[in-house]
Amino acid sequence: MDTSLRFERVDKDDNHVLLRVYGDVTIHTSPRLREQLKPLLNASIREIRVALDHVGFMDSSGIATLVEGLQWARQTGGHFILSGLSENVRDVFELAKLDTVFEIEDGSA
Amino acid sequence: MVSNCIQDVSFSDCESSHVGKLCLQMNCNSDCIHVLRSMVAVMTARAGMAELQSNRVAIAVDELFANIAAHAYNGKPGRVEFETWIGNSEDGCQELVFNFRDYASAGWGGNLEEIMKAGTEVHDPLSPGGLGLRLICSVADRCEHEVCADGNRWRLIFNINDREQLKGGE
Repeated sequence: MDTSLRFERVDKDDNHVLLRVYGDVTIHTSPRLREQLKPLLNASIREIRVALDHVGFMDSSGIATLVEGLQWARQTGGHFILSGLSENVRDVFELAKLDTVFEIEDGSA
Repeated sequence: MVSNCIQDVSFSDCESSHVGKLCLQMNCNSDCIHVLRSMVAVMTARAGMAELQSNRVAIAVDELFANIAAHAYNGKPGRVEFETWIGNSEDGCQELVFNFRDYASAGWGGNLEEIMKAGTEVHDPLSPGGLGLRLICSVADRCEHEVCADGNRWRLIFNINDREQLKGGE
């Protein structure tokens, strides 16, 4: 069980940002994910990719945090893309019926 | 690692369980999640559950504990008793059971049966409130809640015998 959460941010250009997440996203760590996402959602960026290749576990608070990105995309016309979901994380999105609502790409970004 | 969230632990024989009953008395804080996750890993392994199902059980236990911590105790420390065992249901099927008992001053006023009936079908993705309870009800085979005079009693039950056929239709 990974109790810490780490991030790697790659600014590909002025409009495209990749955020790689490392660790479990839970009620205790999701505020850190929100801290990382918030400045991106307030910036004039067209596309945010969140790479979840290294996330083994995500609970409802993690999903709720990512829903804020979904809201941003709908309000601004931007793209909020999730990639690299493990079988366990994808299962949670499917259980929540959110796998068809988010833009989810197979494979890693 | 000995966690400061554990106040008492016991492991007793359980008439219907071949692995006994594990009982923890915890002081509700974030360390408890780690302890509970370890307990879930042990019990789902003993139940012979596959990794995906074990993850679903972990989600349900995590979400229920988080719900108690956030809503029953408003994020403040509080006493929670936790029990888990593998037993037999009345119809002879094996089941993995998790009991939670909190001593919060206010009983939870929701209705788990209604949430289980609704499942996750009626859901606005932009309003994720209540998602945790819906996830619990979608992965557990039975969820029970009882308001007590001095708190709440919660029970999650997962059937074991049909685990090759995961709940949800996969």
